[in-house]
Amino acid sequence: MRVHLPGPEHEVMDPAPALYTIRINGHLGAMVLSAFPAMMPQRHGADTVLTGLLDRSALYGVLAEIDALGLDLLEVRQLTPDRKSPEPRDARSP
Amino acid sequence: MTIISAPAGSGKTSLLRAWADRPGQRHRLAVLQVRRDQHDAQDFWLALLDAVRHASGATSGAEPSAATPDFNASTMIDRVLSELADARGDIMLVIDDLHELDSPDALAQLTRLLTNLPPGAHAVLTTRYDLRLGLHQLRLAGELGEIRAADLRFTERETSELLGASGVSLSKDGTALLHQRTEGWAAGLRLAVISLTGHPDPERFVAEFSGTNRAVAEYLVAEMLDRQPGEVQDLLLRTCLLDRVNGELADLLTGRPGSERILLDLEDANAFVVSLDPERTWFRYHHLFGDLLRLELRRTLPEQVPLLHRRAAEWFIEHGEVVAAIRHTQAAGDWPDAARLLADHSFSLTLDGHAQTIRALVRAFPPGADHPELALVRAGSDLVQGRLDEAAAHLAVAETYAETAPPDRRRRLQVAIAALKLSLARRRGHLAGVVEQVKFLNAPVTGPSDEDIALDSDLRAVALMNLGTVEAWSLGLPDAEHHLQEGAILARRIGRPYLEVGCLAQLGFASKIHPFAIAQGRCREAIAAAERHGWGAEPVIAPALVTLAGTMVWTGEFDEAERWLQRTVRALQADIGPDIRLLLHQTTGILQAGRGRHHEALKEFSAAEYLQSQLEGSHALAGQVTGWLLATQARLGMTGEARAALAALADERASAGEIGNARAVICLAEGDPAGALGALRDVLDGTAPVIGYVTVVEAQLLAGLAYRELGDQRAANQAAERALALAEADRLLLPFAITGSRELLEALPRHETAHAALLTDILDVLRGVSPAARYQSAPPETEELSLGELRVLRYLPTNLSRPQIAGELSVSPNTVSTHIRSIYAKLGVRDRSSAVQRARELRLLAGGRTR
Repeated sequence: MRVHLPGPEHEVMDPAPALYTIRINGHLGAMVLSAFPAMMPQRHGADTVLTGLLDRSALYGVLAEIDALGLDLLEVRQLTPDRKSPEPRDARSP
Repeated sequence: MTIISAPAGSGKTSLLRAWADRPGQRHRLAVLQVRRDQHDAQDFWLALLDAVRHASGATSGAEPSAATPDFNASTMIDRVLSELADARGDIMLVIDDLHELDSPDALAQLTRLLTNLPPGAHAVLTTRYDLRLGLHQLRLAGELGEIRAADLRFTERETSELLGASGVSLSKDGTALLHQRTEGWAAGLRLAVISLTGHPDPERFVAEFSGTNRAVAEYLVAEMLDRQPGEVQDLLLRTCLLDRVNGELADLLTGRPGSERILLDLEDANAFVVSLDPERTWFRYHHLFGDLLRLELRRTLPEQVPLLHRRAAEWFIEHGEVVAAIRHTQAAGDWPDAARLLADHSFSLTLDGHAQTIRALVRAFPPGADHPELALVRAGSDLVQGRLDEAAAHLAVAETYAETAPPDRRRRLQVAIAALKLSLARRRGHLAGVVEQVKFLNAPVTGPSDEDIALDSDLRAVALMNLGTVEAWSLGLPDAEHHLQEGAILARRIGRPYLEVGCLAQLGFASKIHPFAIAQGRCREAIAAAERHGWGAEPVIAPALVTLAGTMVWTGEFDEAERWLQRTVRALQADIGPDIRLLLHQTTGILQAGRGRHHEALKEFSAAEYLQSQLEGSHALAGQVTGWLLATQARLGMTGEARAALAALADERASAGEIGNARAVICLAEGDPAGALGALRDVLDGTAPVIGYVTVVEAQLLAGLAYRELGDQRAANQAAERALALAEADRLLLPFAITGSRELLEALPRHETAHAALLTDILDVLRGVSPAARYQSAPPETEELSLGELRVLRYLPTNLSRPQIAGELSVSPNTVSTHIRSIYAKLGVRDRSSAVQRARELRLLAGGRTR
């Protein structure tokens, strides 16, 4: 049986910033876009996609802003083009 | 219990308001609107308590709830629960915008409140997102109703009704289009209605709205703003950065008069402006609306933003709203000014119970920037959290800065540093020298303006309380009394009940050198003052509680003392430093020793001695603690341990009278009465320093015991008589019990004593006869108590005050007082403790608990 210990993994919970795309229902105008200065907006059909490099707390800041402004959140996605999938390493002795 | 959980603009607050105002509302509503970014659990709870008391009509007569720097959440929940129980059922607790509560502690405490609501009490909460409240038990029990976004959406028919009620005529197709475009979202519909009202072509508006892909809220807010007259637009934009606004403040920010009228009109038009008070002087914007306006302000008038914040800050500081002023100063980017404001007000804010807000304000400063004034704020914050080393480090920085500060600020900084130094010294028990460092506090403070005087008064009252406390603990008792009395008077004058109670409580402790009657009177005065504010079992009153218990132990009222000690334990749930806990263990120890339970006493004295070893430097009661520990060891036959500890004492401590007594007890236990007399010589001839005359009484009794061992009955009688003579004034009993002097006193011929009455009382207690037995000569026939009187009687052995008993029984305090008068008359007694004793004898109280 494996014992779950608080290991060094916990310190890498917030990794380096990653590229996120956030899809919102409707076209955003200059007023609302000014709430997301770090994000690049693009229109996709009837939606707006915001793209930006965010760390975890910045991401949650953006989500809180979306909530506060009454926007209709459709999708949040992390872009991982060249990110290696974490190896299933287990350094602990059985 | 109902939770309304839905995103911004879903109509949660409107639903609540409509429900609250509906005709035939049978609940009494206790409404709490959670402030934006509420960090202070205490602020939240006090507002909730006031709302409940207001709703239950319990506010008359009681003091308004006041904040304390050492807030005890658990007793606060109990207070809210008991208020709810007293209101008998039909109270509805309404908490709006609970997601704004940024305090995990407060949320956890709220869970306890909500899962323990008295039968018949209800609660409604609104929140933007689901909170971790731990209400699954309620949910399982089917006692939790939930209203979510889908439930709040308007149907097409409701949309049509809304339009009709607002005087907007729109075709059936137009209505369907509008409903489809807004998806029945309440904020969207309300915004649309504002634009549609008086619109020349409503159908076109809906068609255009429907034809665009713009996000609903943004499109409609922009439309609505466009349709407002210029001055309304300007007012909305310039005031949106305030959490709340009134006409005067809006006039100031717009530079135009007449803002109040505009705000009133906007509220009447249902335009996302709501008044916050029944008089309609303060308003706030709907959060969603305000957030969009702020974005528009920053986009269109960016250069105005710092200016507006600065003006708002000035207004708030003039009106004594310090937290708002600091927030706006920070938002204006005026960091040095913000640091100075925060430093100036950190004492007042701490007293107001805003410790968590202070921390949030400190965190808001940009990292890396050096604001030396903040060191003082951080030191105070560290002290509140018990981080003593960090506090000392920050104090050192503040001291260095104070030396170079401009002369007009130096004085205030020095007083503030002195107050914190004293507090730190007390928490560490490092009393030596600190009083010398702060001697300058004796000079009166003069401030150039009223505001400065008020600020300095807060600061000075804190400094006096801390100074007097340190002096009391280091035995500078007359100075201590003087400073604490001055502090209490100043605190009362400036309306700081917490400081007043704190000074009075410490004054109770500092009165130990006086006759017990004075000390008890002062303690009871402090406790009564604390109870008026609901602090009867809070840390601030602990010194008075434990001192009162101590005087009762000394006079042999052991059961009563035990009840006060139990209350002290409750008050000390929050840790406020080792000194007061030391006093609690010591007093419990002498209580146990007085009852002859030396094993239990040993545990208490050992705990007290351990706490003493944690303190740096010596303090007032050190000799007593060590002396009693050693004596108790000896009485339990542990003479070896006692001898070893005695040998380890430094010379100047070993010469104290209390240690002399302990040495005598050890000698007696070893069968060496001559040695005991030798150990007592310096105490009896007055050359050994003693803490009080009680030490001499104990020494006389130990000498009497030694003479008896030596077979010198005459000398033994003389020693006993001298002890009685000294004990007479305070009717001191404990030394006789603790030294085991029963046989010594029994051997004293009655004709040889001038203190026969005291002797009888003492022997009664020493023979294990309860004090109640002394009343057995009283006439046994008692007029029968009524049912109501019996109900009140059951509460008399508790520490509950008359208003509290009234609360428990759901009757008026007057009724309780009438019953108590009649109980006294029928039992033939004049006070509460005699009534309890008499009732126990008559078996009117179940389970006569004597221990």
